[in-house]
Amino acid sequence: MVNGFSPATLQEALEIRARHSVTPYAGGTDLMINPDPDAVYLFVNHIPEMKQIEQRGDQLHLGAACTYTQLLEHPLTPAILKAAIDLIAAPAIRNEGTIGGNIANGSAKADSVLIFFVADASLKLNSQSAERIIPIRDFYRERKQLDLRPDELITEIILPTKWLDHYYYKKVGARKALAISRVVFAGLLTWQDDVIAHCATAFGAVSGVVLRCPELDALLIGKTRSEAQAAKAGYLAAFGDMIAPIQGRVSAEYRKEVCLNLLTDFLTSNGI
Amino acid sequence: MNQGIVFKLNGQPVSYTGSAADRLLDVLRQTYRLTGVKCGCNEGECGACSVLIDGHLANSCMVAMGRVENCEVTTIEGYSQTERFQVLEQAYAAVSAVQCGYCIPGMILASECVLARHPHPSETEIRLGLSGNLCRCTGYNAIVKAIQIAAEKGEGLW
Ligand SMILES: Cc1cc2nc3c(=O)[nH]c(=O)nc-3n(C[C@H](O)[C@H](O)[C@H](O)COP(=O)(O)OP(=O)(O)OC[C@H]3O[C@@H](n4cnc5c(N)ncnc54)[C@H](O)[C@@H]3O)c2cc1C
Ligand code: FES
Ligand code: FES
Repeated sequence: MVNGFSPATLQEALEIRARHSVTPYAGGTDLMINPDPDAVYLFVNHIPEMKQIEQRGDQLHLGAACTYTQLLEHPLTPAILKAAIDLIAAPAIRNEGTIGGNIANGSAKADSVLIFFVADASLKLNSQSAERIIPIRDFYRERKQLDLRPDELITEIILPTKWLDHYYYKKVGARKALAISRVVFAGLLTWQDDVIAHCATAFGAVSGVVLRCPELDALLIGKTRSEAQAAKAGYLAAFGDMIAPIQGRVSAEYRKEVCLNLLTDFLTSNGI
Repeated sequence: MNQGIVFKLNGQPVSYTGSAADRLLDVLRQTYRLTGVKCGCNEGECGACSVLIDGHLANSCMVAMGRVENCEVTTIEGYSQTERFQVLEQAYAAVSAVQCGYCIPGMILASECVLARHPHPSETEIRLGLSGNLCRCTGYNAIVKAIQIAAEKGEGLW
């Protein structure tokens, strides 16, 4: 085809990626908003190795070219990810849009990316000569600055599933479905034997990248309910210092207040 | 690199020799003269450009031609040859769900996807299924009603 490659296998795709200057095209739902008429696309939407969904032990492996619809309909997709996908756009966009595209587009407003952050997911990046697996947090250097080499593709998202069952997810946007989120929050908290065994939080759309501060969430881990209640004010204050919202159409102060309200609600809903 | 993009368009095999980066919407309208596919926003928000790709609803303004290689693309022109279309057409007409008509090719294809997925759809399932298709004229209630009627009258078709 003219100005494009449509490889049938991952190996073929990686060969093309190594030899030509191409733009990966998964669902096109970000690319086609401002299409570059001179782009040479590498279509990855048909590559079977990038569409698999497989649980291996405590880890769920999601092919980067899985569409939102595919994930919504799959029994292995964790409820927290389905909750986020449910609020992404409308059916036609969900039929085409992929999680790999959401990640590689590099926006801090990307809704599935938030879930991958709170879950401490890793990305599998492949080139013809190498494969590397890196934590999603390391993939984003800053806004639109990705740790992706020109010969690499994101092939898989590796999601640890152990702590995903007890989740809190809220998207505060102008319109429920079609709005690219203004503020999104996801939290995970698991009690074991009356102490907090796991706590993780992530904020989307407040800074250039998703905000995830495991060192602050660690303030609550190992605490009993009463200890956690005593630590609550300090925990909220620490996040208050951390959240420096970007200036956008919604005022920075408003965003910050929403973030802290969501964090408070997350704690309250867990009895803290 | 110079072999065309081969796909099925409304059941007919075709080969597109232009750029893989061209928009499906533009190619459908300009090359294949399928002007039932409308352009409302060109950015994935309105659904006027809806088509079916392998039976799934897609916004053709958000699709590059290379993506449809070896796929089946159905536009309203192709879909209107089906028995299901007849049922939807009558149902839309029965409740005056069509005003200016601009959104209707997309609405019909979105309706098809709702019914293919839920032959007996709840109102919520209908509204969610139509959530990417905007209509400036009818206010949606008539369209929802039309789909309910089609589900009843077309019993067994979906
Ligand atoms: C109307 C509308 C509503 C939307 N609503 C939302 C929303 O609510 N929430 C949200 O988060 N997003 C939303 N989006 C944005 C978009 O749909 C998502 O970001 C989607 O996940 C992008 O995936 P894609 O496969 O379509 O990406 P593409 O457009 O194909 O690609 C996006 C970028 O990623 C690169 N890329 C893709 N796959 C790979 C890969 N495997 N390896 C390396 N690079 C890759 C591409 O080169 C490109 O730079 C919306 C878009 C539209 C048009
Ligand atoms: S023209 Fe494609 S969604 Fe509006
Ligand atoms: S009938 Fe006019 S836009 Fe729907």
